[in-house]
Amino acid sequence: MTGKLLVLDNIRKNFGAIEALKGISFSIGKGEVVALLGDNGAGKSTLVKIISGGLQPTSGRMLFEGEEYQAKSPAQAKDAGIETVYQDLSLCTNVDVVGNFFMGREITRKVAGIPILDERAMETITRKALTDAGTRIPSLRTKVEHLSGGQRQAIELNRFVHWGGKLVLLDEPFAALGVEQTRRGLDMIRHVANQGIGVVIITHIMQQAFQVADRIVVIRHGVVAGDVERSKTSPDAVIEMITGQTLAGAGPASG
Amino acid sequence: MTSQTRKILEFVLDNLVWFMLAFVLAVFSALIPNYFQTGIFTNIIEASSVLGVMSIGLALVIITGHMDLSVESVAALSAMAVGILFCSAGIGIGIKLSPEWLMVPVSLLVACAIGALIGFFNGFLVVKLKMSAFIITLASFIWVRGIVLAISGGRSAQDLAPAIRWFAIERLLGIPLSAWIAIACFLLFSVMMAKTPFGRHLVMIGGNETATFRAGIPVNRNLILAFVMAGAIAGLAGWLLAIRTSGATANLGVGLLFNAFAAVVIGGISLKGGVGGLPGVYAGVLLLSSINTAINLMGLPANYTQVIHGLLVLAAVLLDMFKQRLRARLA
Ligand SMILES: Nc1ncnc2c1ncn2[C@@H]1O[C@H](COP(=O)(O)OP(=O)(O)OP(=O)(O)O)[C@@H](O)[C@H]1O
Ligand SMILES: [Mg+2]
Repeated sequence: MTGKLLVLDNIRKNFGAIEALKGISFSIGKGEVVALLGDNGAGKSTLVKIISGGLQPTSGRMLFEGEEYQAKSPAQAKDAGIETVYQDLSLCTNVDVVGNFFMGREITRKVAGIPILDERAMETITRKALTDAGTRIPSLRTKVEHLSGGQRQAIELNRFVHWGGKLVLLDEPFAALGVEQTRRGLDMIRHVANQGIGVVIITHIMQQAFQVADRIVVIRHGVVAGDVERSKTSPDAVIEMITGQTLAGAGPASG
Repeated sequence: MTSQTRKILEFVLDNLVWFMLAFVLAVFSALIPNYFQTGIFTNIIEASSVLGVMSIGLALVIITGHMDLSVESVAALSAMAVGILFCSAGIGIGIKLSPEWLMVPVSLLVACAIGALIGFFNGFLVVKLKMSAFIITLASFIWVRGIVLAISGGRSAQDLAPAIRWFAIERLLGIPLSAWIAIACFLLFSVMMAKTPFGRHLVMIGGNETATFRAGIPVNRNLILAFVMAGAIAGLAGWLLAIRTSGATANLGVGLLFNAFAAVVIGGISLKGGVGGLPGVYAGVLLLSSINTAINLMGLPANYTQVIHGLLVLAAVLLDMFKQRLRARLA
């Protein structure tokens, strides 16, 4: 973990009168996996959307690779190298698997100066990416609306692994996945982190967090209620932080 | 349901309009004397050129999940502008350019530019101010027609310059050039929608706008472009309309909007956005045109035509609803 990849400094976000985030500060290192935990409505998804350019913070600042960072749109975040898998999936169900895999990054070849979609090339790459990840989808040309929830989530996960970047944000990426697919997903995360990519994963399943994370950050009512290394805490201690039975930041090191 | 039957059902749903067109043509040919002859078919294609071009623009916007009710009035304004500039009788001021053929690109440019401008206005309000496309374009439908009435003073322009008229008279394979322009537009925009990233993005925006935004696609820019295109294409439809009638009257093209709407929906473009393609719209246009021709041949009074068109729009929307339900069950 050499050098900080992303530093959050006192991030606040108000929705009208609702204070969703009340000053969040923590950081993510290169190749580090941070599990972001917290109860429903704690502000996890809001924080992810601020990092990925979907929402603007009310105040506070971010440093990405040591430089002032603030994405005005998801396109800017992507350009900076930040990939996101959202809690409510981001697929166009009216388009086929290949179209979704390459959404916004289509491969084209010029015909008389006009960019024409290179469907064959995109299909080949999509097939390879899905096969490598062990995802089985009968036909890459079926519209996503005909696929199961797990298959859809798998497409999104494979998409981020394929495109890589410097930081990936995963908001409950395994919610619709079966046991085997979840195991593969967790392996995928370790694999991605080993390449030096920073990972933030939101999950409600303690076991997953402890399986994959280097560090655990707990958010409670819009503030950081705990920021501890995995090896220095226990599931019980984390649950106490989530439910608020200990003081902010004072995660006991029992384990 | 087996995947085989599902595939067949989906194929039928996707191409329903072609089956309907074949069915209607077969029935008319069998029942109406004199219907089945090549002259009729070229007539159908010829009569559908203005409606066809206008339907393309409307379809583009509906595919993105929005609506453009202004296309009819935009076409009328473009036709009136071309009429006033290049007609020699009535309110026409009869501008002459030399060489004469120069009038073709200039009049075309005027017509499309007017449309594009109004399209930009619509798109800007819808996208940037997040106002309902239905309301914005309904307003444009009214005020643009108002401008047509105002600048014409209710009078008409006649005798369009022969160099421009040429497109309605000259024929290739028995079909006038103006109809070939419509066919060329369908080919061009079908390729754009099915084969280019821009077209793909419009379909995706219609399916899930949030997802496309998150994927980094410039949603606002693409949406405004779709409105600009719809406007420019409506301008082209107006240009064709001026050519066909050799001028422009204040109420030129009244009622075309509902025909275009019916053609688009019957053609398989879903009102919820993201579903359908332009080839189907052309089939929808031909279908309406076939029905109109049949009405003419049977000698029904013009008033009934309007009743039939109204029912067709209703049928089209019902069909769309029915297909959406069926698809939901297939999914
Ligand atoms: N667009 C919005 N407008 C108003 N309030 C919002 C909006 N988005 C989120 N909130 C509020 O902000 C708070 C945090 O929501 P957020 O979605 O970030 O929670 P979360 O930690 O992701 O919860 P979950 O575990 O259920 O996904 C909630 O009180 C929510 O109601
Ligand atoms: Mg959430």
